[in-house]
Amino acid sequence: MSVSLILVPAALAAAAVIQARAGGTTCTVSTRMRDSGLLAAALRETGAVVTDATDRIDALWAGVTAAFTRDAEGVWAAHFRGGVDEERAVEIVRRLDVAYGRKVQAAVVERLRNRAPAAGLRLESETVTDDAAVRMVFAVERRRG
Amino acid sequence: MTARETVTVVVAADGTVSARTDGVHGPGCLDHIAVLEDLLDATTVSSAYTADIHRARTRVDATEVVPDVDRH
Repeated sequence: MSVSLILVPAALAAAAVIQARAGGTTCTVSTRMRDSGLLAAALRETGAVVTDATDRIDALWAGVTAAFTRDAEGVWAAHFRGGVDEERAVEIVRRLDVAYGRKVQAAVVERLRNRAPAAGLRLESETVTDDAAVRMVFAVERRRG
Repeated sequence: MTARETVTVVVAADGTVSARTDGVHGPGCLDHIAVLEDLLDATTVSSAYTADIHRARTRVDATEVVPDVDRH
């Protein structure tokens, strides 16, 4: 018997598409990002100066500013102002998405390292694959009651 | 001889996760799904089960085990 699963992330919104829509002087780009801490860290990794509050994060790159706000589903959207066209805004968010993905990956790996032993899983090996994925093999030591 | 039970988790660079269990017999594989959901704080939105009566070992393939690391 085999089982295949699809699970929806809180950090990664399901069925998210990076796309822009322009309105007036603002260009808004949707994202798949939901975790504010990881978003702020990813922004800093892209070289942005970040100011974060509960429901808003402001980012400043050289000559570019963006305000991030959450939608009703908790997914962040980027609102670019000034001299940024849709193509440039999407390109920025795509670079940010790559950085965000790495932050999520690191958070997941750390979570597994820390929490697996309590779940009866002993880490046997951890390797990085050619496509930068982290492969972790756990031996099952006991079943949960 | 009892097959050794292992769980292999691959965390992609984009944050998505796939997982597989090997050496798990029968409904025991369902336990591991629950364990992975707990470990990753992930939510299963769909699943499919396929009978494989010719294999002694049960293998569970999990695609897009997406982690919940939202702390806010």
